[in-house]
Amino acid sequence: MNSKALLLEKARELEVEFIHLQFTDILGVMKNVSITIEQLPKALDNEIMFDGSSVDGFVRIEESDMYLAPDLSTFAVLPWANNYKEARIICDVYDSSGTPFEGCPRNALKKVLKEANDLGYILNVGPECEFFLFHTDEAGEPSLKTHDNAGYFDLAPADLGGNARKDMTLVLKQMGFEIEASHHEVAPGQHEIDFKYADALATADNIMTFKTVVRTIAQRHGLHATFMPKPKYGINGSGMHINMSLQTLEGKNAFYDESDELKLSKAAYHFLAGVLKHAKGFAAITNPTVNSYKRLVPGYEAPVLIAWSASNRSPLIRIPAKRGNSTRIELRNPDPSANPYLALAAILKAGLEGINNSIEPPAPVSSNLYHMDKAEMEERGIEGLPVNLYEAVQCLSQDEVVKEALGKHIYEKFADAALYEWNEYSRYVSQWEIDRYLKKF
Amino acid sequence: MNNYSVLVADSGETSRKHIYNLLMKRGYKLYQATDGAGTIRIARSINPDLIIMDVDLWGCNAQEIARIIEEDRLSTVLFITNSVNKINNDMLKQMNIYAYLLKPINQEQLYQMVEFSIFNAKKISSLSKKIEKLESSLEGRKKVDRAKGILMDKLKVTENEAYMILRRRSMDKCKSMEEVAEEIIKG
Repeated sequence: MNSKALLLEKARELEVEFIHLQFTDILGVMKNVSITIEQLPKALDNEIMFDGSSVDGFVRIEESDMYLAPDLSTFAVLPWANNYKEARIICDVYDSSGTPFEGCPRNALKKVLKEANDLGYILNVGPECEFFLFHTDEAGEPSLKTHDNAGYFDLAPADLGGNARKDMTLVLKQMGFEIEASHHEVAPGQHEIDFKYADALATADNIMTFKTVVRTIAQRHGLHATFMPKPKYGINGSGMHINMSLQTLEGKNAFYDESDELKLSKAAYHFLAGVLKHAKGFAAITNPTVNSYKRLVPGYEAPVLIAWSASNRSPLIRIPAKRGNSTRIELRNPDPSANPYLALAAILKAGLEGINNSIEPPAPVSSNLYHMDKAEMEERGIEGLPVNLYEAVQCLSQDEVVKEALGKHIYEKFADAALYEWNEYSRYVSQWEIDRYLKKF
Repeated sequence: MNNYSVLVADSGETSRKHIYNLLMKRGYKLYQATDGAGTIRIARSINPDLIIMDVDLWGCNAQEIARIIEEDRLSTVLFITNSVNKINNDMLKQMNIYAYLLKPINQEQLYQMVEFSIFNAKKISSLSKKIEKLESSLEGRKKVDRAKGILMDKLKVTENEAYMILRRRSMDKCKSMEEVAEEIIKG
């Protein structure tokens, strides 16, 4: 029996009634085409069509027929749906001629992964995803409150967020995730759930699934989950640290070399150097919102400067202490508003560029970067990440390597959307300005 | 008089306070919620014995909230409404209590319905716990039977001997018969 028939049998055995065919648009928003079990055979033959012109950043109206090609390995039952049994399959998008659509982020990542594979590497990625759980107000709209008004209800102190997180962990486990850690984070109402590393494509899929699960379960707890990078001024924002290692096709960790002082291989140093070199270029992808850059400020454990360290947590890249098969580098600027497919494609491409051109990284920094003065930074040639979305898009436009990772179509649509966002933001008169200037002038 | 806790979830202040005050006289432990998400949050914190919920609760679809509450076994929902047209009978059949209260609230009727609902909810909950226990022991027995069959085939022993082997192994390994049977089935 082939894999399609096996999947069909499995879906019928599990009495699944609805199947959500999922794909992600350029801005990182998950889209669903829902079908009933009767249509599943058709879907598995890539015959399900949708109108691409109705999806942000896809295509113009005259070329709008798109096809979904389900990735059978991503079939999963959604454990929270009790009315009818529902499942999902993640799909690649194909255009009407049957070729992979270049505007599909998952296809873009696959392309870069293929390049890595041709060089003899597999990228393994483990994300650390942070989020906030807020309360909703009486109209059901999300608020910034993390506690009910204690005097109003005579309630025993219950850790609502903690309980919701427990449920999220359980649901993720049912969906096949291996949870490594789940804990409260620095800020009130902030949480983190870490799941086990996997190859880059599986991890990008997992991040999308993770976000859906967190949002859905939060709702069932009367809470609103947000992946907004910096929801509150003055407290830590939410990051999505990316732990990466290259694995050779024989299954060995290509970043580990016993003979080196830091026990890092040549490939690790070159990869690291490539990522540092293109950090400015891919910032628009890993930190794609206006709000992202309010997280990347000194003082809240988020990186600001482009440097690396084997110990200190303040620079952009840290090398966690574990060695051997666990040797990896941790990139600390990405945030959870990023499209995981595009972010991983851009970072990997940058690292591969380092390996291809044998770029050497600058010397590591060991002191706390937040305390380094300007002269010292200039002397060492340490640059900062872009300070806002506008600068990030400018940097992206000058980085041919990252642009190549995205492909022309995605790059253009992405840059248009980011600049539109920036212009809207720039024109808006914020409360901060009113408070600051209304009386003063 | 009694220790039952009741959450009154109604966005209308007059009606909420009215129900609250009436139930207060009967000695219930009372809580209030003014919107859907708040109802879920309080339900999760205190697991009330009953939630009296207005179908026009703000910020949500009250039926959806009620479904989550009963699915996750946080409590039992008794709907109130100001119009019979707002009640979906098919939905109501899926709930623990197949009944609702019509506003304006009549005192005696409220007392009766609340008592009746809590009593029925307790009954349903203890019955479903019993069913679950039976189902899981039935499942366990099926496994033991299958494992016995495998042992009888492999070792050419009688059914009784196969059972003895299973029990011996369960005691030796400090594991339940079901777990030992599972190991044998997996091979």
